[in-house]
Amino acid sequence: MTTRDLVLVALFTAIIVVLGLIPPVTLGFIPVPITAQSMGVMLAGCIIGARRGALAYVLFVLLVAIGLPVLSGGRGGLAIIQGATGGFILGWIPATFVTGLIAERLVKDGQSEARQFAGFFIASVVGGIAVLYAIGMPWVSAVTGTPLTAVATGSLAFIPGDLVKSVIATLAARAVLAGYPLLPQRA
Amino acid sequence: MLNGLNVEGTTPLHRMSVRMKLAILLVCGLALYTVSSLFILIPAFAIAALVYFTTGLAFREAVSRLKPILFTILILLIATAYFTSLREAAESFFRLMAIVLFAGAVTATTATGDFIDEITRLLQPLDRLGLVRAADVGLAFGLVLRFVPDIFNHYQSIREAHRARGLKVRPLTILSPLIILTLKDADTIAMAIDARGFRRPREKHH
Repeated sequence: MTTRDLVLVALFTAIIVVLGLIPPVTLGFIPVPITAQSMGVMLAGCIIGARRGALAYVLFVLLVAIGLPVLSGGRGGLAIIQGATGGFILGWIPATFVTGLIAERLVKDGQSEARQFAGFFIASVVGGIAVLYAIGMPWVSAVTGTPLTAVATGSLAFIPGDLVKSVIATLAARAVLAGYPLLPQRA
Repeated sequence: MLNGLNVEGTTPLHRMSVRMKLAILLVCGLALYTVSSLFILIPAFAIAALVYFTTGLAFREAVSRLKPILFTILILLIATAYFTSLREAAESFFRLMAIVLFAGAVTATTATGDFIDEITRLLQPLDRLGLVRAADVGLAFGLVLRFVPDIFNHYQSIREAHRARGLKVRPLTILSPLIILTLKDADTIAMAIDARGFRRPREKHH
């Protein structure tokens, strides 16, 4: 890993921390407010790619674990990782990796804008939603004893918000790709 | 801006090594999942609560840290009680809360710098194998802590720029300028690090 990659990883981790300081937005038709930080997985994967994105999240999860209040709402500490939703926090790392892997395969320079949008959207949905829930939900079920079907039903409330986040992340990632491309130079 | 969640103190937990605390947390966590008897889980919960509330953390702060975690756990356990049985929900509650309280106690009694030192030490074997550079961890932590205030200033100026133009502040219009503004400094920062020789090349680099 070059020093530049290390710096990109650390800067992206710092961006994720700052996204947690931005006040959440509520959209009329969605029950759960959208926090900018929860878009971090999709953004990291689509903008700096699989390896660097996943490392940015390794660093972020370590910041949570060592007790820095970096999660939105000023939360942090080992207790959150040990709590019922710890799987969603640890799941950020593989989720970012998968998002990045798909984005690297699907999005190339010189493609039409529409194809790039499609690529980032698929990467965000598969990595940032499917992979994350595939890790987070069984974890919840395992530590609380709640049946997986009940957890899955409850999680449905978050899906519309997650799809909105995927759209926002797609648009932002494509804007960054046009303005300051980092994804093609794979680390 | 980013102060650790630990408090100064001289309790036995403060004086214990980070590795020991993490090992105990891991072993207790795994062990509690093998028990389902309330006769063990309730005392374990009581001990963990005692440890957590005697770390020197102010009582209100200690309670407010637990609130969001407790909230999620309670909602999930109401579902568990409904779908399975009240007894199972109670077992899960005391088990999870015992682990959460103990983890909270470790966080409250360990300085972030000590954690970083311990992570660096734990990575030494991998460093020797040439898989990671343990010293990079400290450097990366330092960079994050150094740049969070700067990036937050970027965010504030982008927000002001929106307001000056009468635009609504939306995540979409904030994100791309914030990310580009931050990442375009990467080259300069990397050059500054290399110029100071912080990352010396390995002797037998592959």
